Amino acid sequence: MLQRFLDPATLASISGLDLVAKTVVDGFVAGLHRSPDFGFSQEFAEYRAYSQGDDLRHVDWNVFARTDKCFLKRYRGETNTQLLILLDTSASMGYGSHSVHKLDYARFVAASLCYMANVQRDAAGLIVFDEDVNNYVAPSTRQGQLFRLLHAIEKAEPGTRTDFAKPFVHFQNFLHRRGIVVVLSDFYEQPETIIKVVEPLRYRGNEVILFHVLDPQEIAPKFREPVLLVDMENARESLEVSPEYAHNEYRRRIDAHIEGLSSQARGAGLEYFLMNTGRPLDEGLREYLAVRKGRF
Amino acid sequence: MGFLTPWFLAGALAVGLPVWLHLLKKHKTTPLPFSSLMFFERRTQSSIKHRRLRYLLLFALRTALIVLIVLAFAHPYIRRQPSAPARSNEITVLALDNSLSMRAGQRLEQAKQAAKSMVAGLHPGERAQVLAFGSRVQAMSEVTDDHAPLNAAIDAVEPSDARTSYAELARSVRSIAQSIHLPLRVHLYSDMQATGLPSNFNDLRLNAAVRLEPHPVGGNASSQAPGNFALENVVAPRRVYDGKKTRVLATVAGFGTQKTTRNVSLLLNGRVLETRPAEVPENGRATVEFFSLEVPYGRNKGEVRLDAPDALDADNRFFFSVERADPRRALFVHEAGPARDLLYFKAALEASGQAAFEIDPATVAQTANLSPAKYAFVVLSDVGALPPAFENQLRDYVRGGGSVLVALGHMSVGRAKVPVSGDPIEGTRYAGREGELFQTAAWLDPSHPSILKGAHWDDVKFYQAIRTAPASARVVARLADQTPLVTDQQMGEGHILVFASTFDNVANDFPLHPSFVPFVQQTARYLGRQDTGPASVLVGSFEELRDSNEKGAAVDVVDPKGARALSLDEATKAQNIQFTMAGFYDVRRPNGRNELVAVNADRHESDLAPIPPETLALWQNTASGVANGGEAASGEQKPLSLWWYVMVLVLALAVAESWLGNRHLSEDKEAAV
Repeated sequence: MLQRFLDPATLASISGLDLVAKTVVDGFVAGLHRSPDFGFSQEFAEYRAYSQGDDLRHVDWNVFARTDKCFLKRYRGETNTQLLILLDTSASMGYGSHSVHKLDYARFVAASLCYMANVQRDAAGLIVFDEDVNNYVAPSTRQGQLFRLLHAIEKAEPGTRTDFAKPFVHFQNFLHRRGIVVVLSDFYEQPETIIKVVEPLRYRGNEVILFHVLDPQEIAPKFREPVLLVDMENARESLEVSPEYAHNEYRRRIDAHIEGLSSQARGAGLEYFLMNTGRPLDEGLREYLAVRKGRF
Repeated sequence: MGFLTPWFLAGALAVGLPVWLHLLKKHKTTPLPFSSLMFFERRTQSSIKHRRLRYLLLFALRTALIVLIVLAFAHPYIRRQPSAPARSNEITVLALDNSLSMRAGQRLEQAKQAAKSMVAGLHPGERAQVLAFGSRVQAMSEVTDDHAPLNAAIDAVEPSDARTSYAELARSVRSIAQSIHLPLRVHLYSDMQATGLPSNFNDLRLNAAVRLEPHPVGGNASSQAPGNFALENVVAPRRVYDGKKTRVLATVAGFGTQKTTRNVSLLLNGRVLETRPAEVPENGRATVEFFSLEVPYGRNKGEVRLDAPDALDADNRFFFSVERADPRRALFVHEAGPARDLLYFKAALEASGQAAFEIDPATVAQTANLSPAKYAFVVLSDVGALPPAFENQLRDYVRGGGSVLVALGHMSVGRAKVPVSGDPIEGTRYAGREGELFQTAAWLDPSHPSILKGAHWDDVKFYQAIRTAPASARVVARLADQTPLVTDQQMGEGHILVFASTFDNVANDFPLHPSFVPFVQQTARYLGRQDTGPASVLVGSFEELRDSNEKGAAVDVVDPKGARALSLDEATKAQNIQFTMAGFYDVRRPNGRNELVAVNADRHESDLAPIPPETLALWQNTASGVANGGEAASGEQKPLSLWWYVMVLVLALAVAESWLGNRHLSEDKEAAV
């Protein structure tokens, strides 16, 4: 029943990204019957009263000495997985045929992933790019990292055109540890070029997930009459399009593009997931978790 | 090609609607930001062009649809040649005019010869029929392709004294064409007399399947008609009642004649009584008066004859019958004392000179020993109580067919009942003799025989009138206050005519007015059942042979040739007879009322002027598609309405437009999904 709250339009009405992320992830996790566990790390979590059978090694003897009571000291579990989100903020991501445009949706996804990584004690980082790198938050598990990430995500606005080559060469400099790399983009480029640029990220042992964010109108455009389409990344470029073409030829070509990107991504060992902005967010998270599972 | 209602073509302006829809109201292209044009190409324009082409096709269909609807309302037609097979089984009709005018010269013989040569020229298998027509059309043969019966039928056509009626011929031809459902080719052999045309030209119209080919005989239609004199009319009395010499007036007419003098003779029973010259002006008329007609008792054959022969001899004789009889007696019953009413009534009755009735006056007291049966009618002038025996006899007399005229005055009021009829008297209407206090006759029934002529009673003043309550009487005249003035009541076979005032110039001043004389004379003729027919009738007119109570009794009619006009069966059953030839018909009725009827041909036949050629051409054209002349008929055309064809085309276009329009709509819908 909580799924209905994951409707993009509903989420858009929630003001803060942290609340959006919490709503999405908590609801999602509760649905999966998973909860964060406690593990061994340097980060203190809480005290708990000793009960019979508990391992005496975890007893905080300093407390016992002062209070004469046995308390167990607990620490947050810690992994060495790192999540790096690459958020495309090119002008085309600003397109939306309904209340939530693609960049909003991508931000919801990014925020949710960051929140989930934070809950999972994963180090999360963010790179915002269009034709250049616009913002970078280095992956970390430090306290306050989530808010830094959310702040950076909130600041992301549609920029100029997409150029995968330049920023992606740059990204490799930021990847020091192996982890999970999530790319959120509408991928308006030839599949070969995209794969060619993204593939090197895998070489360092990263799992790479491509979230292909598309508006329903981009997947199956519905025009009642001939329209003059203006390219959002290049306002000088425009084209008159008939409903018949959009209905037939364009669909065929976008389907071919999606299929080509999907197959080539899998061929290159990349995970690919098509995110329709008209659909709930949890599908993207499920995809992430499927990859994340092997990372504990 | 033409249009029956071309004003509807103005509706073609509605073509502007699709023009506006398709060409002027262009589709606006909405600029729409889109994420990337990566998957769009320039060639997509062609798709729009293709779509526009289809829009143009839809535009053309809609424009054509409107134009065709407008065309259908304009009712287009074309003239087309009649199909050849339609004329292949054509029937030839040979119509021969045998009217009186065909007796002029050798006209009928010429017509017969021409008709025979036409029969000889018929192709084998070509069928024909012979008709003879005057005032009526007579089929002389069946429709046959055998020449022998056709020639025999032509020979059998006899000259008649009837009048030409082209309208009757046209009606018969229309009837034949409708009954046999085959095209007719009518060959008309006639002198084309202009007087044979009907007053309404529409009566001459022919069916589309009829072709008329006139063959004028007795000279070209455009040539001058021969001059002809005719005795147009003779005025003679039907009956005379005394031995005095009677006046006969004859009118001589000249048709296409020069000024000349002709001798006119008066004959009675074959004997010439008098011959007088008549100076007839050019194309004019002259009247001749004879004062020598002295009629012996009985029925006499009178004749006026024009001596010199001319183009048509048959109209130079005019027959009339005249009968000499004693005047009949009528009983006038009045109260004892000065009988002013008798004076006025008798003076009025004898005013015409030929008194058909003689008045026998009698006081009420004298009636006790009288029998009314021997009188033509009885007048009861303001009488009080009648002897009961006489009143009973009067009632029987009326029931048996006699008639009574009752004048009501102050004597009648005392009795409170109208004599004989017994209708109650309601009271008396009085008016003073001074000032304006009098009544006038406000309403008269001009159809009643008593009022038929001289119905001008406007200035007659009625000072006293007796109001009665007639149960079933016909009110003939009313006073201004609606009091019935004259009523006519049938009792048995007879009539009781009640005049609600007197004839004595006291209760009214009616006897002093000119309208009194015709009233008295007409009433006397009506009550005395005196036949007032003319001295002669026209050929073609009818005569009644018997009353309703004379069924089964034989009537003997001898025609002018001396032959019996009726068969034995007809003699006992025929109600009337039509006189078909000029001369004297001797009619002997079962009640012993014998009559000599003089019959004359219609003098319209005397004018031999032919129909103008343009009128003849107009008649031929009443059969649509018939052109002038026989050979030119091959080029005749018939208008064919294209309305239905256009409407079928409109239907087809509407279906095509709906289909194409739906396709566009479905594409739009598909795009909208």
